[in-house]
Order: sequence, then structure tokens, then C-alpha cells
Amino acid sequence: MTTTNRVDAEGRATIKGIICDILEIDAEDMTDTSRFKEDHEADSMGAIEILSQLERAFGVDIDQAELARMVNLEGVVTVIDEALLAKAA
Amino acid sequence: MYDNDQRPARRVVITGLGTVSSIGLGVTAFLDGLRSGRSGVKPITAFDTTGFAHANGCEVTGFDPAEWIHRVDATELGRATQFSVAAARMAVADAGLTPEELRARRALVSVGTTDAESRDLDALVDVELREGPERLPATVVRRAQAGRLSTGIVRELALTDVEALTLPTACAAGNYAIGSGFDAIRGGEVEVALCGGADAVCRKTFAGFYRLGTIAPEVCQPFDKDRKGILTGEGAGILLMESLETARARGARIYAEVLGYGLNCDAHHPVAPDQDSLARCMRIAHRNAGVKPQDIDFISAHGTGTRANDVTEAGAIRQVFDAPPPTVSIKSMIGHSMGAASALASAACALALTEGFIPPTVNHHETDPECGLDCVPNVARSTELNVVQNNALAFAGNNAVLILGRHREAQ
Amino acid sequence: MSPLVLSAWSAVSPYGVGAEPFARGITAGRCAVGPLDPATHPGPFDRGGVVPDFSARTHVGKKGTRTMDRVTALAVAAVGQLLESCDGGPVRQPEETALVLGTGSGSVQSIMDFTRDSFAGERPYHVDPARFPNAVMNRAAGQSAIWHRIKGPNTTVAGGWLTGLLALSYAARLHRGGHCARVLCGAAEEYSEQRAWLEWHGRSAAERATPLGEGGAVFLLEPAEAAREAGHPALARLLTTRFRAYGAESEVRAALAACVRDALKTTGVAPGDVRLVAPLGAGGESAALEEAGVGDALGAADPRWIRCRPLLGDTSAAATSLQLAAVLAAAGADGLAPGEAALVTGVERDGTVGCALLAGA
Repeated sequence: MTTTNRVDAEGRATIKGIICDILEIDAEDMTDTSRFKEDHEADSMGAIEILSQLERAFGVDIDQAELARMVNLEGVVTVIDEALLAKAA
Repeated sequence: MYDNDQRPARRVVITGLGTVSSIGLGVTAFLDGLRSGRSGVKPITAFDTTGFAHANGCEVTGFDPAEWIHRVDATELGRATQFSVAAARMAVADAGLTPEELRARRALVSVGTTDAESRDLDALVDVELREGPERLPATVVRRAQAGRLSTGIVRELALTDVEALTLPTACAAGNYAIGSGFDAIRGGEVEVALCGGADAVCRKTFAGFYRLGTIAPEVCQPFDKDRKGILTGEGAGILLMESLETARARGARIYAEVLGYGLNCDAHHPVAPDQDSLARCMRIAHRNAGVKPQDIDFISAHGTGTRANDVTEAGAIRQVFDAPPPTVSIKSMIGHSMGAASALASAACALALTEGFIPPTVNHHETDPECGLDCVPNVARSTELNVVQNNALAFAGNNAVLILGRHREAQ
Repeated sequence: MSPLVLSAWSAVSPYGVGAEPFARGITAGRCAVGPLDPATHPGPFDRGGVVPDFSARTHVGKKGTRTMDRVTALAVAAVGQLLESCDGGPVRQPEETALVLGTGSGSVQSIMDFTRDSFAGERPYHVDPARFPNAVMNRAAGQSAIWHRIKGPNTTVAGGWLTGLLALSYAARLHRGGHCARVLCGAAEEYSEQRAWLEWHGRSAAERATPLGEGGAVFLLEPAEAAREAGHPALARLLTTRFRAYGAESEVRAALAACVRDALKTTGVAPGDVRLVAPLGAGGESAALEEAGVGDALGAADPRWIRCRPLLGDTSAAATSLQLAAVLAAAGADGLAPGEAALVTGVERDGTVGCALLAGA
């Protein structure tokens, strides 16, 4: 878990909204740790779509290698955090 | 030109080849490129690549439409149609048919494509963004039609008794088009068929594959353990096909016989291939062609060089073949020319049968054990061939497998 | 081999979703072209024939349609309607069923939107990956197969106004080649702002008044024997398709006449047996030349003419498929009567003409 949380509550809600929209699920069905692929039937296209939409929403660049960590909401928030940090640096 | 008449099935042969590719214009240059393992890769010039971290591709260079296109005003044709028309001209000349002889025969022209004139559509978007949709140039709008890929050939060759078919079945479209020509001649519907595929490099398709993370930064390395993806390419391959009887009657040189083909659809995922379904398509093709797996001397794979394609395709091949034959990808040399890909690969297979060699898979360092195929690394292999298989896969799980055989005149 | 028959059909058209509203509208000769709301349909046309209240969400489903574009939804819906009308029979052996679908250049709206994102975004790769397949021309056919689990050959056909006739020709050839037991065959076209602008710029000034239409029609093509076994009515036998090319527009009449004569001659149909003709009726001189060409071939015969274009607008790639649907609509539930023939014709501005000849089974 990252401590320098640059994704605030609003950002977290934005991320969750984007992901739920892509996976066509209700927000209440997704927890911080429910897994996109195993629990929400995401495929590889869904994963790239999530990455792509988050890049545009947050104005960051995310390497596709990060997909390995973007398996649940917590993982995505961490990756966005780091990307925002990198951008600010 | 369907009708219900029952005629004895005819044997179908390829007697002319037209190739526009990043490793050479015309069949001689193409053959030389295949034999020597030439690579067509270079930085993309078709559009402004600023902002992409890498943008190599396999573009056709030194193409002057005026050299090939005589009757039709080339400015009325988009780049893909120019390639298609030029390749058709080459194929007719290569077959030793005069335009008059060609016109006297009932014909099918079928051309496959992924993007048709999307390069023009890209340009029109640019105009819209700068000047608004009221300002689109009519000439570009009119030529940006998929149907032009086949009707362009009809106009250039002044054919009249002809069916002009464009098959935009994406990256397997070349095999679809050749298959339809095969059926049309076999069934006696037409006496000659000009079939293949054409595409031009465009921003839309590059951006799409780039976004999917499937564009290789430098080179295309099918079946290599370090493969990083595709390189978008362009070109056209057109085959002139006719019945064995007419070819014999005019003493034509026969490159190869078309033995059959198979089509199916995964009906599963928009972009991810399905191994079982692809295996089924190969079996369908074998049955249609009347061959067995052990008859296949080499496979020209779809072999795009992405992680997913190559491992899935190799898996499907191992499912069908107890001992897989050499399996190569000419995309290592000419990139992924989209709708032209399987047409150019068919031309390569026809040349391989005639000349007795297997084209190499270049840029190869170490075969991915997950693929586990003999991909004829880097250097062409001389060998006698009898039957070869050409695989093609497309988005939406549209699979097409073509089987060609060496033609031998009975003694 | 048992002859191929058309044994079921569906349409999604400016009359609504389904074969019934289409049949009612065509039979009544009711014009489905109406004013376009510039807020929802911006572009150069103020009138058009759009499928009323149609959307992927309402007519295909809530799930899995988030990124589905309009032409794909029209195709998926038309195929769905067809399958429903024959109780899903054709997909009980999904590997034996082919789907051959005609489109223009796919969805020009999807293709050009995708490029627009690349030009206008902060980065040139800021495009929506989930919409990339929409920007490839086999999307409508491919997604229809995925949606309805149709696993036989899946082919996309393009040929301007002749698309529907070419799809029919290709489909019959595919069947004859032994690649499938039956074919679902047709075409679809969407109304979009982008298509409207391209059509407007592509046309001559004289043709610009013709409003655009949209829709799709899909047919079940199978051997007569199989139709009988499945309990499908043989609505019409597909006797032949024929195509020719012309140079100057002045040659349209002769080219189409030759095409129709050849079709009649090879199938042994007398001109007088042709009771229904559904021409394309494209703008400018072309419509008159087309009808004259058919008239030359039919001589003294006096068929009933079904003119779709004034009723539906210019439906581009879907036009000749909708004409074929109009013939079947006119023929009624029992199809064409024995001894009765029908003709669907088209003239493409790219220099080609074509026809399909049908007869009572």
C-alpha cells in the first residue's frame, strides 16, 4: 500500500466509475480487492481499455507492463498514484 | 454469377502473379526478396508519427502509379486501389494474356481488404478538423469506397463480362477472395479470376494496434521468444486463376494448383484468436482440398509476431499435425499488410512451389518454446514441395486457410 | 443438388424493426422518409429514412452493447430477427451456417471517429481500444456471428449499391463450393452524420436532393430440400445472379439489358414470366436508364415495379438487399407462385450493373 496517496476520494470514485462502466457492473459489486478477471469477467481488451481511459482521465502515461498490477481497484489506484507522482516529478 | 447448372468440377490453377510489396514491386523482385530474406522495415512516412514512441512499418517505396495504371486517372484511385490495380496489371501480364484475350472471358474480380481507403478517410478527418465537414474534397470522397478495390481493376482492364467483388473481411480477406475465385472457376461460373487483397498503411490502424500494445518497436519476429508485435505494412497481391483446361490450351506457365480452402468463425472474441476454432478451420481446408495433414510440406502462418497470435496459432497447428511441418511467417519480411497479407502470402506459396524453396522467418534469434515450431529461421531452405498451406486470421475470429499444390504435367 | 431457396427473411428499416412493418409499409407504398432533427442528426440533409427509436441498447440488449456502433446493431438485430422467425434452427448446427453480410465501408462514422481521436487527443494513441474493432470493416458481420454464435464462414462484402446482389452471389457460390449447409445473407447500412457528409460531397449536385435511408435485410438461403425438412416455406428459388461493367453512363442501359437477357436465357425463364421488378432507381439519369435496360430485356412483358428508393431514401449498401426483401414482401407469406419470376436490379456509379433472378419454388 502506498502512503503518499495522490489519488483522493474523488479520484478514487472516478477510477471506480470508469472501471465499472467498462466491465458493465454495478459499483456495489466491486470491492477494493475483487479481481477484474476472475470476479468480473474482464478480458485482455477490458484491461487495455481501463488503462487507456485512465491515461486520458488523469493525463498520465501508464506502461502496459503495469497491467500485471492492475488486477483490482487497489492495484489500479496504486499505479495511478505512482503515475501522478512521476508526472509531478 | 451464381446459377444452378451442374457442371463437372474443374481444376483451378494459378498462371499469373502480381505483387506490390515493401520488399519489391513485381514478381521477380518479390521472389528475390523472399529467397534472400529481405526486410521491408523502415520508419513510417504515411502520416505524421510525432507522439508515438516508435513508428516503424513496412511501406511500399518507389511506387509510381503511372508505370502500371494507364486507362484510369490514378488521382481518382486511393492508394490501396492503386496497389490493387497495379498488381492486377502485373498478374495479367505475368500470365501472358493480352487485354483482349482477358476481355473475351467471363471474369470474377475479387479483392480482399482490411481498411480499403481508410488512408483517404484519415485525410478527410484531417480536413474536417481544420476546415469543417463542409469542405471535404469530392475527388477524395468518391475514391474512398471499399468497392473501388475491385471496380478499379475492372475499369483499368476495361472488362465488361465481369463480377466485381470486394471482401473487407479484414486480415484474412486475401484468402477469402482467392477462395471465392477458386469456387467460381471450379464451378464453371467464370473462365478467369483476378483475386487477392490490397491495403495501404494508415494512421487509424497504426494507432489502434499501437493502443493495443501490439506494435513492435523495431522489427517483427514471429515465433521468437522475444517477439514484440506486428509492424503495419501495405501492398497488394493479385493472382490470376483459370481452369487447368484453359491454361493448358494456351500453353500457360502454371505456378500452382489451388486445391481448396476452408473458412470458419470463432464467434467468440472480437480480437483474441481461438485455438480450437483455428484448428477446426485447418481441418476444414484439408477436407475441402482432399489432403491430409501429413501431405503439407510447409505452412505459411498468419504469424503476426504478437504474443497471442503466435502461441495460439502454433497450438492449433500442433493440434492438427502430429509432426508439424516447417511453419514460416513472411510478415517478418513484409510486415502485416492487412488485407493484402494472405494474398501476398499465397503468391509466396505459389512461388515456393514453383521454385522449390521455403521462405525464411527473418529477425529470428531464439524460437519460443511455447510455439515450438521449425520456422526456417533467417535463411530460405531449398527443398522439393508438393502441398503447402496458407493460414490467415482476422478480427472477430474470421479464419481462412488456403491449400495450394504443385502442378505436374502428366508424363 | 437441390436448388437454393430463400426460406426466411427479416428487415430493419425506416418502417421499424422486423419483416412485418417492412411488408406493411412497402405493400402500402408508404413513404418512411421524414424530417430529421438537426440536434440528433446534424449534417447536410434535413430529411432522411432512419429506423425509428432504434438503438443498440434497446434493440440488442443492455449488456455488451456499450461500444456497439449503429450499423453493427442494425446487423445484429436483423440477424436476430431472422433467427427468431425460424426458431433458431439455423444456429442449432452453428458450424454449418455461414453469415455473409454486406456493408459500405463498414461504419465510416466509427472509422473516422477513431482517427479523429488520434488527431485531436493529447497523444496520437489516445484512442479507445474497445472501439478499434468498430473501425475495421468486418465488424458488423463478425459481431453478428459472435452475438448469435454462428460459426461457419463469416464474410463481409462491399460493392456500393450492388452490395446486396454481390452478397447473394457470393453466398450461393460459397454454398455450392461445399463450405456450409445454409447461409444467412444480407446487408446493412447506418445513418450517420459522417456518412451523410461523405454522400453529400460524393454526389453530383443533381443527386443531392435524395435523402439518405438506413436499415438492413437478411435472408436464409438453403437447399429446397433442407427448407422442406425444417418446415420453412420456400418463398423463392434463387435462379441466378448476373453482373456486368460499363464505361460511360450511356452504356448503362445496354449493360443491364445484356445482364438481364443473359439471366433469363441461362435459366430458361420467359420474359413474360417476370411479374415483379425491384430496381435500385438511383438518382440522376441512372434510374431511367436502369428501367429502360430492364424494359429492353423484358420486351412486351408488363411486370409490377416495386420502387423502394422513394419510400426509404438512398440506403446505399443495404439498397439491393432491401429491394429483395421488398420482392418477398410483395410475394406474401406463400412466396412467389410457381411459374412466377421476379427481378432485382442495380446500377453502381463505379461502372457496374447487376441483377438477381428469382422464381416461385
